[in-house]
Amino acid sequence: MTAVAATEPRRMRASLTLSVGIVLVGLHVVVALLTLVWTPYDPAGMAGGRLEGPSLAHWAGTDRLGRDLFTQIMIGSRIALTVGAGAVGIGALIGVTLGILAAFATRFLDDVLAAAFDILIAFPTLLLAMLVVAATDSASLFSAILALGLAISAIVGRLTRILAKRVLEMDYITAARTAGTSWAGIVFIHLLPNIWPTLLVNFALQFGLAVIAEASLSYLGLGAPPPNASWGRLLQEAQGTVYTAPFGAIAPGLALVTLVIGMNMLADGLRDIGDPTRRRSR
Amino acid sequence: MSLISVENVDFAYARDQQVLDGVSFSVRSGTNVGLVGESGSGKSTILKLLLGLARPSSGAIRFEGETFDARDRTFMRRYRQSVQAVFQDPYSSLDPRQKVEDIVAEPLRSLRIPGDHKRAIRAALHDVGLPEDAVSRYPHEFSGGQRQRIAIARAIVARPKLILADEAVSALDLSTRIRIVELLKTLSDAMTILLVSHDLGVVAALCEEIIILERGKIVESGKTRDILAAPQHPYTRKLLASVPRMPA
Amino acid sequence: MSAVLEIENLSVRSGETLLVSNLDLTIGENARVGLIGESGSGKSLTALAATGLLPPGLTATGSVVLDGTEVIGARDADLVPLRGSAVATVFQEPLTALDPLMRMGSQIYQPVLRRRRRAGEPAARADIEAEVRRLLERVALPDPDRIANAYPFEVSGGQRQRVAIAMALACHPKLLIADEPTTALDVTTQAEVLDLMAGLVREEGMALLFIGHDLPVVARIVDDVTVMRRGEVVERGPVGTVLARPEHDYTRTLVAAADAFDRALGAAR
Repeated sequence: MTAVAATEPRRMRASLTLSVGIVLVGLHVVVALLTLVWTPYDPAGMAGGRLEGPSLAHWAGTDRLGRDLFTQIMIGSRIALTVGAGAVGIGALIGVTLGILAAFATRFLDDVLAAAFDILIAFPTLLLAMLVVAATDSASLFSAILALGLAISAIVGRLTRILAKRVLEMDYITAARTAGTSWAGIVFIHLLPNIWPTLLVNFALQFGLAVIAEASLSYLGLGAPPPNASWGRLLQEAQGTVYTAPFGAIAPGLALVTLVIGMNMLADGLRDIGDPTRRRSR
Repeated sequence: MSLISVENVDFAYARDQQVLDGVSFSVRSGTNVGLVGESGSGKSTILKLLLGLARPSSGAIRFEGETFDARDRTFMRRYRQSVQAVFQDPYSSLDPRQKVEDIVAEPLRSLRIPGDHKRAIRAALHDVGLPEDAVSRYPHEFSGGQRQRIAIARAIVARPKLILADEAVSALDLSTRIRIVELLKTLSDAMTILLVSHDLGVVAALCEEIIILERGKIVESGKTRDILAAPQHPYTRKLLASVPRMPA
Repeated sequence: MSAVLEIENLSVRSGETLLVSNLDLTIGENARVGLIGESGSGKSLTALAATGLLPPGLTATGSVVLDGTEVIGARDADLVPLRGSAVATVFQEPLTALDPLMRMGSQIYQPVLRRRRRAGEPAARADIEAEVRRLLERVALPDPDRIANAYPFEVSGGQRQRVAIAMALACHPKLLIADEPTTALDVTTQAEVLDLMAGLVREEGMALLFIGHDLPVVARIVDDVTVMRRGEVVERGPVGTVLARPEHDYTRTLVAAADAFDRALGAAR
């Protein structure tokens, strides 16, 4: 009763959130795809004077080597989306699988997995990245994705385990078992649909954090090496000239913020329309 | 022949925690049985054993003469099809993300029962007194009593022989409770009900036979009418005296 | 006879939705009144509005005078002392009504301390502990010292509800509100707790507002009933009259349901 009155404005807000999220993320996706076939200037070549401000020719100005910043930010979108999707993909696959396994497992295996998640979460991502670089013999975009993916898998694993345990206690799981539903059926028909919305929101959050973390790794030489124009590296490069050419820091910063916010809004909106109990009834 | 028989069953969670102590009873086809006890009586454990969610420490459970064995897949399939359950909490027992048709269809799908599922679902919903357009709605759109009807539709859709009802009306308001009891009474023309409950009034209204359980032991059992009229065991008397009655 | 609780024209709204509408209810000193209704009838909201504890988002209009103080529109700070002295509430689920991480003796200690300070009675540790012990004995708990030292999860549901009642008694309230206090309990425990409450209300000279949906349970402990449906009062009167000659259709349905179960139990008494 109480909820009904509040449902309509909430639903409108949800669809607004979703629309803005789709627009922001969609913009980055379109730009990233575009860079595969076309960029305004050669990303590695001189395109104008050094540290020029924004102009019609160079929307975001140029860097200290005279390269077009807007071109680099566009390519940064591609890198950011690759890192985010790759890291969250790896993290989700490992984390959700192990989390569900832990929720179903015997006491001993559950304890072992829970401890493993906690240790991995406490482990500094930086150290993890260094270990991955050592193991793969080179610092690359891939090693950064793998390291971030592993770090995310622990967070996702722990969350999945808790969510899954809560669902497994519900009577509808017992009802499913007495109806003859197999364990696989219970996971795919009942468990995943009920924990998915919460996981999705977490994935979006992790996506944003992964984009930011990749920037730090790049700066330390543990991520994508130059000439890959990650936004993090652009920010670092602009640091020294932030007083003389502030736009060099503002532009990649804006790109980063729009993607992260867009991702969060997308997830929030999806969660609200995906949950039948939040939909308006009758 | 009895539908289900529990023979000298013991159950303990740990060595010093005996929950069931030599419990024996049987349910005959066509005779509803009420298993009455309070918290700690072991009635929920008996239900768990009958649902195949736990195994007795000793003793046996037989279904139509065949010994219950969770590892025997052919037996379990037949058992699941013949024995369905209704739970106490109509909120927790329905998956909030499934439409009513998917909820009700679950036994048909999981047990791969042949036939026209859509028709079976419509028939089950009709039997429990829900409108046909309920199929495409979600559980939260229904009241507690209607949700319990959905749960009952799921239990009867595969046309089982026995329904295990775990406090199936205890969470409902009084006037809803009587309607669901009447519904179960009607359904029991075609199937048998084993009702596990602490509520003697509900058991008296639905079950021809009654079993009184106290701390893991059966203290009295027999025809409901006889036991209500002349309870023998002191615990049965105490239980009966505790039931709030309408002022005369 | 002066009234402990006087509700006039009370309405509770959530946004545009009317949850309780134009309710009148008066409880005199030592009166025992039952509020009957099903879930969603507004009976629990009425009790919350009476103590000024409506959840945020709900607004009450009309007048609720609790022991001479107008509750509606009052600042929460003015209601706090009232909740301790004029009214105490016992809820359905004692497991959530008690603090799980606090020994039960300590949970009774606090209200006793507050009441003694307010009344200017000696509030030394020994005095209070003695009263806590007396209260636990008062609610017929066996081995009060063990219970006082135990945490809520360590005792049975019936014992927890007795502790919750002892907490309510600690305030010496003029009105005891019991919101479905026996619904979560076993049948035999329910009978014991009902008898205990009936005795305490009489002996302590409290008024009682007993909220429930189970007709025979409510009938066992009150003298007058008010029947609510969808936020409105549909019938009221002495228990005997309402149960024997229900006027409203809805009351008739309720009485018929209760009678049906009662008949099934037969002559056994």
